[in-house]
Parts: sequence; structure tokens; C-alpha cells
Amino acid sequence: MKTFTNSNARDPKQAATLAQQARRENKAAYFNSGGTDLLGLVKERIVKPDVLINLRTLKGLDTISSAAGGVNIGGQVTLETLSRDPRIRRDYTVLAEAAESVATPQIRNFGTLAGNVCQRPWCWYYRNGFPCFKAGGNQCFSITGENQFHAIFGGGPSYIVHPSDTAPALVALDARFKIIGPAGERTVPAADFFVLPKQNAARENVLAEDEVLASIQLPSPRAGQRSTYHKEMDREAWTHAVVSAALVLEMDKDICRSARIVLGGVAPIPWRVPDAEKLLAGQRITPDLAAKAAEAALAGANPLAKNAYKVPLTKAIVQRTALALATRA
Amino acid sequence: MSTPNNTSRRQFLERSGAAIVAATAAPALEAQAPSQNAQNTISPDPSVPRTTIKVTINGSPRRIEVEDRWTLVELLRDHLGLTGTRIGCDRGECGACTVLIDGKAGYSCSQLAVWMDGRSIQTVESLAQNGNLDPLQKAFIEHDAPQCGFCTSGQLMSAKGLLNRNPKPAQDDARAALTGNICRCSNYNRYVEATLAAAGVSSPQTVQRFAAAGAPFAALKTIGHETPRIDARERVTGKATYSGDVRLPGMLYAKVLRSPHAHARIKSIDISKAQALPGVKAVLTHDNCTVVWGAGGIAGGQQYNDAVKKITKQRRYAFNNPVRFVGDPVAAVAAVNRHVAEEALQLISVDYEVLPHVLEPEEALKPGAPQIWPEGNLALDTRNEAKPTGQRRGDVEKGFQEAMADGGHVFEDRLTTTLVHNAQMEPRSCVAHWEGEKLTVYTPTGGIANCRADTARDLDVPLENVRIVCQYMGGNFGNKNQNQDSDLIAAMLAKQSGAPVKVEYSRKEDFIGMHGRWPTVQYYKVGVSRDGTLKSIQLRGYSGMGGYRKNSGNIGGIEVYQCPNIETTIYPVYTNKTTSGNFRGPEYPQGYFGIQNMMDEVAFKLNMDPVEFALKNMTRKANDQNPYTNYTLDECIHRGAEAFGWKQKWRPEPGSDRGPVKRGAGFAFMAFRSGVGRSNAIIELDSSGKYIVRVGVTDVGAGAKTTMGLIAAEALEVPLSQVTVDWGDTSRCPYSVGESGSRTTIQTGYAVVEAAREIKKQIAEKGMPKTGERYTASTNPNPTIADNKVRATYGAHFVEVEVDVETGRARVLKYLAVHDCGRVMNPLTAASQIKGGAIMGIGMALHEELLYDARSGQPLTAGYYGHRVLTHRDAPDIEVIFIESDDGYGPWGAKSMGESSKVPAVAAVGNAVFNALGHRMRDLPITRDKILMAAQRGAEVRA
Repeated sequence: MKTFTNSNARDPKQAATLAQQARRENKAAYFNSGGTDLLGLVKERIVKPDVLINLRTLKGLDTISSAAGGVNIGGQVTLETLSRDPRIRRDYTVLAEAAESVATPQIRNFGTLAGNVCQRPWCWYYRNGFPCFKAGGNQCFSITGENQFHAIFGGGPSYIVHPSDTAPALVALDARFKIIGPAGERTVPAADFFVLPKQNAARENVLAEDEVLASIQLPSPRAGQRSTYHKEMDREAWTHAVVSAALVLEMDKDICRSARIVLGGVAPIPWRVPDAEKLLAGQRITPDLAAKAAEAALAGANPLAKNAYKVPLTKAIVQRTALALATRA
Repeated sequence: MSTPNNTSRRQFLERSGAAIVAATAAPALEAQAPSQNAQNTISPDPSVPRTTIKVTINGSPRRIEVEDRWTLVELLRDHLGLTGTRIGCDRGECGACTVLIDGKAGYSCSQLAVWMDGRSIQTVESLAQNGNLDPLQKAFIEHDAPQCGFCTSGQLMSAKGLLNRNPKPAQDDARAALTGNICRCSNYNRYVEATLAAAGVSSPQTVQRFAAAGAPFAALKTIGHETPRIDARERVTGKATYSGDVRLPGMLYAKVLRSPHAHARIKSIDISKAQALPGVKAVLTHDNCTVVWGAGGIAGGQQYNDAVKKITKQRRYAFNNPVRFVGDPVAAVAAVNRHVAEEALQLISVDYEVLPHVLEPEEALKPGAPQIWPEGNLALDTRNEAKPTGQRRGDVEKGFQEAMADGGHVFEDRLTTTLVHNAQMEPRSCVAHWEGEKLTVYTPTGGIANCRADTARDLDVPLENVRIVCQYMGGNFGNKNQNQDSDLIAAMLAKQSGAPVKVEYSRKEDFIGMHGRWPTVQYYKVGVSRDGTLKSIQLRGYSGMGGYRKNSGNIGGIEVYQCPNIETTIYPVYTNKTTSGNFRGPEYPQGYFGIQNMMDEVAFKLNMDPVEFALKNMTRKANDQNPYTNYTLDECIHRGAEAFGWKQKWRPEPGSDRGPVKRGAGFAFMAFRSGVGRSNAIIELDSSGKYIVRVGVTDVGAGAKTTMGLIAAEALEVPLSQVTVDWGDTSRCPYSVGESGSRTTIQTGYAVVEAAREIKKQIAEKGMPKTGERYTASTNPNPTIADNKVRATYGAHFVEVEVDVETGRARVLKYLAVHDCGRVMNPLTAASQIKGGAIMGIGMALHEELLYDARSGQPLTAGYYGHRVLTHRDAPDIEVIFIESDDGYGPWGAKSMGESSKVPAVAAVGNAVFNALGHRMRDLPITRDKILMAAQRGAEVRA
């Protein structure tokens, strides 16, 4: 591996300052959390750090605590802890299920929520060292290449899909992301955290290079809230979502008061489908209505040459998941 | 340092030889077992950041100064001597490096050592306490969990992590907990069984044995009973030493620079900056190394002999110009450690003239296609002739006419299979070491004798000066039969640097730099009479060989049909993909997929049950003329259909299940070569009464060492405990054919029987040896089969799948493999082989592909993640039925087995998907995108 210095961070502010300092010295600095994603990129020399700022030593960011009726999840909470936490399982099932669907036990034991949300794309062009937008280049090789796992929504100029399983769950739950930089902190809604390539083709989110995703707040669950995460993979474990759906329904007996549907694996960001949500609001979810919502969810999909299959696939999982969740005993 | 430029290899050897003797006199050769306190011999580079950490390793608190960039596995293996933790991918994709960190399973390749400050690490070495194995280790041995053993430490640590938090897991819990651990031997069933057994949870019985109908044979004393492997303890304790564990004093580390282009001419290479980097000891390029890698081209080492070497026009060098695929070696650097070697690669500047490339074999034969060799893209054979291979019997055109005249049909179809990689768990790692003119190479090879002959020929040194050692190896599957370029590169770097050199390929390099199964395009034309009798079969096939013809490129499978008119024409074609070569049943799994899906389609069109169609048309005489030594194919099919419930599971109308989730069943049958032939064995006996059996096998994972021990014990009429097997070292072991072609048990096993007979004769004549006496029996039998008979192993696989036509997901629900492998030597290891082959076949059918970007010629899916190698969660329980027989050949009727279990698997899964879905999936792998699009098209057609 390339030579670099590991710097253990004490708190997010100091981590951010370390990054800022490195940048001033013209050094490449990267934040590290669980390690799996970043070390792979470093070994392939896709990422060439001079300094690794280790966030695993941050104090107090590895716990889940109550806050203002909801919960506050430290960015360093592991996916394993998250998926087994009784309160998350009960009140925010979609997040527990999303965390549980990630990769393998070994990765979930050390991979963190912040790391999962901020991981780089798993597009095979990027991961194989092509000089694409995500690597600082100026083209997307998937457009005319092998694009079976690429975006059907929101693509252009890059057609990556966002790789995180927890991200669609967090958007569906109206989470708020606390970001700490050298100058201070800010909080952004999950939906505003992720950015489309047309806003910034090189990055997947609003984090500046010296900002840290410190923690994530979830609002208190609404009355009758139930949720689930469904993930379709390319083998039965350890792939990113070919397509996934995070659903949160607010149910009043058998009537759906409101719905949140956020798709994974279809766009460069977690992809919310408001038209489908609207169809479900105030209704009893029948097979017919679920099918209509699925149609609405995929309206406007714009597949590339080799990923048209994602359209019927996504329809099927939206329809099935909405129906199953609404009619669950 | 200086590098001789533009010198021939011979001149180079002569020039550099003298200095090397002194430099390498010190290392002792028995250093195969790495010293536990091996110290890093490199003085620390002050420019590399280092940190002192406090960490508890296997219960002992340690203070260790580490480089910030060291991974945990690097610390464990290279600096603490804990080599039981393996590196399979180094990317968090395979799990071979799994350890417990504060009690939780983690990938030690994906953690920096510096992050372990204050933590507690447990490795496989901690499991046994005071010599007592952990219950998991005991269960792993009893249930034959480790085959090649390379993934075993990781599986054990994941299982340990599971039992730590869940002492009574269910089968699904075990699968989920272990699913981050890939086993390419695909022994998933056994790992789960063993984990559950350690927790006191039993698993269903999945293996049955029957004697072939009407052919009873006597049971034996040692053979035929479930026997744990004789080296299983080493495999579950981390003590087994693979080539990557070898560490010699003063050893350098080498890395290879590879072509980033699919096809390019190297105009110049500037290595001056790399040479100037402190710590770099040797640099090789095509400028200063013109060694030919004989086994890398021209149909493999078996056919690459001195005569071929002399005449061939298409030489593959260790470093080629032009480069013919992404991954073709361009340069190699040996340096004091792997980081410096890697850094040096970055400093080599290569000026390429990029040439047009072609990836698909049919395209490559078209006029105007980029020319990969001056002689054209149709691969030359060993006589420099460019012509397709094939066979012909009868007259196919006449056959088609006869079929039509009879009121029958002629069907045509095109089926394709893709490049899939062997993906054995152990990536290539070898150590070369010269002592004067004598070379020792520690390398993973399934054939130490072939590897030795190849290496001696390639380096132009006398055979007796080359020693090949391979004590343990992490899987083969056809990928490690001869020598490999890494052996030559290591030897040449060792020569140039005057020190032992270890060459390490990364997982990605192993995928793109070694070889995978050749992709094929198969055009079939089949004539069949009205009653479903085959009249004529024609196959035109194209095999993509990559830039070099390492193996045959054949497409097999037609020969299992009884048909008077047959014609096959197979074009082995050069392309700019990675090299293709042998992979478990070289030409058959892809050929069987083609022909048996074709025949399944013919049966469907004729409205026949495919099992009935097979029974009507399958082989009963080899090539329609030679009788078999025994024949049980009918019995395999009948018994299998009955046990599987074929009539209930197979849908007469494919795709007819109501609703989106449809079930269906598929079937394929097999008759596979099981010849006899030459091999050697030595048995020695001294006054201790212990027999030493020396055989030139290395045990790729199939259990050859144990099988040889069982055969010796049976033949000597002594308990297995009285037999010691010695293997894997050409300085002690006689020639063996190597573990390829599923022939070790038959050929080397028979040599062991002969040696036992011989030593018993000596005992009968002279009594047992007295103190100081030693008897030796060395045999070299070359048995043949009488009366023009042909020997084959038979089988039939039955698969039930579930296909969701709205999501495209296909899943195997039930799998039954019926095999006649003759007499089963060790039912425990034999069943593991069958299960593994079937699971590999499922992977090839449904998931795996080394996919290329057409424009750049870059591989996109090199690695376990991208290639979608199956995980624990993908692997169904494989049920196995053995139909046993003794045809009088081989040791007590043993037949070949290792490859045969994969041969019909891909075809059977493909047929099952058709039966469930109602659409023939003609192109592998049958992934969800193809299933979904077929289902969509079907829905449109129906609407």
C-alpha cells in the first residue's frame, strides 16, 4: 500500500480540523470508519491518501440514545449494533432491516452507519480504475458500456447508483444528518444530504472534504407507523442492491394515512417516488392500488441499453412490499 | 544496481550465476515451515510512518511497532508468524482472513493494524488449548469441512463468533453467520453441518450408497468407510503450510506490472526510476528476460515438449511484446518488502502503441478483425497448423434427410457460455530459491512432476537441478496443473537478485493473469425421427482462448448420445480476453450445457419427457461401438428419477405454474472418461513397522493424500495408522501424473497397490526388516484395458428450481446428484467432491461471469464480489446417491470423480429454469436480467 499517516481523531471537530490542516499542507486526507470500503480503494490506488483520519476513536459517537422523542444514532454505531437494537427494530424497522441486509457479518461488525451512508459508488468502472467522473475524470463509461447495474432515474452526467442500503431507509424516515466541519456544525435533512451528478458529478453528498457526518437523528415514530426494507440481490448475499425499496407507512387500521417510498439501486441518490406515495395516502392498499402505485413509481424511468429489466423488477417489489406491509397483521 | 540489458537468458544466467552462489548459500531448504519468531529482516524506512500499539493477540498482551499502512493480516502473517490466517482476496470479499476482534468476526485484510490499539485479536491458532482441539475443530474434521482447507481458518472463526453469541443455532443461522466466507471447493453443506454438530445440532442425512444392481462386490476392510483426512488436523489448526506461508531468510518480495491494454505493442520501457528506488533488488522486463513459458501456450505442458518447443511459431514468453490481454505481464520487481515492490511498479514507465482488440471468438474470425498473431486468429496446434478440431461419424447431411423423410424434424439452435474463473481460494504465491545451479520452487501446483519438467525446460536447466515443493495447496480446479509464469518470474528474479524471491499475485491478478474456462458459442443442428430417435447431430463451435492457447478449447458432450451421424467442428480462436484453460472437466460443463439444453428442447418440441428422451437416445456403447467395462447409466437415471420425484416435480407444460413464482425441474446425465494409466509409487518399510508411502501428489483438496493412505493400508493389510504418506516434494516423491483429469486415485492409487504387493513379497521372502534394515518397493505400472473396452463414470443430476418471473430471481430448491464412481474409496471425502461440483455448477449456470467492457477490453468483474461466486446462503443441500460397482480396473474398481460432478450440473440447472419459466435461456449465466426480459417478452407475445 501507499505510505500514509494514520491520525486518530478524538472528536469530530478535531477530525475536521485535521482534514483542513492536511489540505492546507497540500496533502490528501480521507476519513475512515469501518475500513472495508476505503482500504479497498487505497489498495487499488483509486484513492491515494497521505493522511487517514481515523474516526473509530471518536468518543461518544458509537451509541444510540433517546433525543426529543426520537433517537440519536452516532455515526460510528456499527451496522451490526443498529440491526440488533430492540428500539430500532421496533420503531424504525426499515433501518434495522436495511442494516442487516448489508454485505456480510464481518463487514456489519465493523462497518458503521456513517460509513455505509458515505461509501463510494460500487460502479465497476469506478472500482476498476477508469478515469470517470467519480475518479475526477470527465466521462461516464457506463453510458455506452456495461450498464446493467446503473441508474434508471436521475442519471447524467454520471449514471452510478447510490450503493447504500441504509440511505433509502434514512430518507424514508425523515432523518436529519448532523455534519461537523472545522467552522462548526450544521444539520441537513436526509433528503438534502445526497446530491445528483448534475449538481456535483464527483461526489454523492453535500459533505465538504473536511466535514464529518457525526450523527443521525430520527424523529419520533408517528402513530401507526410501520416500515420495511426489501432488497433484491444478484446472489443471496454480499452484493449491493440491484434494486431495493424502503417503505414507511402510517396506518390507521387498514387505511394508509401517509406513505414514504424510497428506492435504492435505481438512481445516483436514494430515489423518493412522491407520485406513488400520493396514490396510497388516505387509501386502503389493495393489490390494484399497489400495482397503480408501482406504475406511478416507475413513470419517467429512463433505462440505459442493458438495465431495462430494472423497471419491471422495481415495479414488482414496490407493489409487493407496499401490499405486504399494509396488510401485515 | 544494474540490470543486464538485451542479453539472452542463457548469457544472463552465466553472467549473474557466480555472484549468486555466495549470496544464497545460507538459507536452509527445510524452511518450508515458517519460523514462529521470524523477524522482519528489513531495517525500518524512517520515511514510513510507524506507530506503537498495545494489542492482545490470542490472550497475550503485546506492544508492537507497526507501519501505519500495515493491515492486521499483514501484521499477523508477516510479523507475528501467525500464518494460519490466510489471504484469499485482500479486499473483504472472501473471508479467508477472518479473525475475532473483541470477540466479533472481522476481515483482517480490511483493518489496519494501527486501528487495533487496545483491542483483543483471536486467530485460528488460539482455538486449540494445550493440544486439545476446540469442539468446532473436531466437528470440522469429522464432517470433512476442509477440502483444500484454505478458507477453513476463516470459516472456523466465523463459526466461533456465531457460537459465542448463539450456542444453539439453526441451519439458517449458521448459513447467515458463515455467509461472509467463500469456499470455492463449495463445501458449504459440510461447513454448516460441522458448525451445527459442534453445537449439538444434527443435520439431515444427505448421502446414500447402493451397490449396482446385479453386480455385488465384497466389502473391504479400510477402503469404503468414512475416514477423516489424514491431514485434517493441520487444516483446522492453521498449521498447514501453503506456498504463501513459506518464508526464507533474506527473502525478497516481488510484484508484477501488467498491461492495462487489451492489445498493444510496447515501444519502450523505462525502469530506471524503479531501479533507483531504495530497496529494489531486481527488475525484469522483456528486454532482459526472454524466458519462454511453455505451458502458458500451445495446449499446455502435456503437449509442450522439446519437439514442440523447437518448432512452434507462437511462443508465450514470461513477458510478451505485443501484450495480448489486460493483465499480460510487462515487468516484475523484487524488493525488500511488498510495499517497496508495489511502489517500484508505479515508477516503471511503459510507452505503448495501443492496437485494436477483439474479444469475441466469432468476431475474431471475421475478415478485417484485429490480428492477435501474425498467423491469424485461428489458434495453431502443436504442429503449427491452423485448423478446427472435431470428429465425424457417418454422414450428417444424410442423417438430416433421413430424419425428414421419416416424418421427423431438424432443429437448430445457438447456445453460449461465458468466461468463468477457477477462482480457487489460494491466490498464486510462490518462492524461488537458488543454491548454486540448483533451484527450489515452493509453489501451488497440482502436479509437482509436470511443474518441475516445465520449469527445467523453460529455464534450460537440467531436470535434476530443479526441485518443486508443494505441501498444501488451496484448490486447483485445473488452474495449477503445470508450471505458471509466476514460477519462472520468481526464479529469474531470484537469479538476478541473488536472494530467494516470493512472487505474490493479488486476487485480481489471479483472475486476469492466470486462466478461466473458455467461453463458447455453440451452433447445433439435430435431426430426429418422428418417434424421437436421434439421426444426426451437427455442432459448429467457437471457443475463445484469449491471447494464447493454453489448453484444447474443445466442446464436449455429444459423445454421450447414441447417434449414427455426428459431426463437430470446433474453432479455438485467439481473442484479447484473459487466457482460457482447463477448469474442472475442461470442455464438458459448457459443452453439456449446450448439447443437453439442445436435447431438452428437442424433447420439448417432440412433446417427450426429457428423461424418456435420454433413455431412448443415450450412449450404451462408447462412440456407438466400444463396450464399456461396466454400465450403470440406466440405473443412475432410474434411481435418481425415483428418489427425486421427477414425475411430480417436472412440468409437462413448462412455465405452467400459476402466479409469478413458478417451479420446475431439470435433468442432465453424464458419462465421463475414467481411463487407467501410468504412475509411480514408492513404499518403504524399516524395523519400526511403519510404512512410508511416497507419491508425487499434492492434494488439491480432493483428499488424495488420504486416499493414497487408505489404498496402501488396504493393500498392505495394516491399519491406516501404520501408514505414513509422503507427498508434494520432487526430491522425495516419484513421478505422478498430477492432480488433473481426476486420475490420481486410479493411476497413482494403482501404483500404490503394486508397490504394496511388491513390499509384501519382500516381507514374505525375508521377514520383517531388522534394525538398520529398510525395504523399498518402487513401481511404475502402466495398466491397460482389455478388449477395446472403454471405462467411464456415470451420473445423473436432478434439480428443482423456483423462478420468480416478476423479479427474475432463480433459486435451487432441491438438488440430487447420482453418481457411479465405481467403488467409493472414502465416502466422506467423495460426497464432498460431488456436492462441491454441483454447487459450482449452479454458480456457473446462474451467476458467474468474468465480464468485459467491450470498448476498452478491460475485465470488470475480477474478484469474488464481481464474479458472484456463490456464498453459503446460495448453496442448497446437495443430496448424493452413490451407485457402487467394481469393474476390475483401478484400485478395487475406483473410478474418476472430481470433475464429473460439475459436468452435468450446469445443463441440469439450465433445463430446470426452462421447465419452470417456459423460456429457453440460451446464454449463460442465467441472471435475473435475462430471466426478466424473457418473461416480459413472453408476456407480450401471449398478450
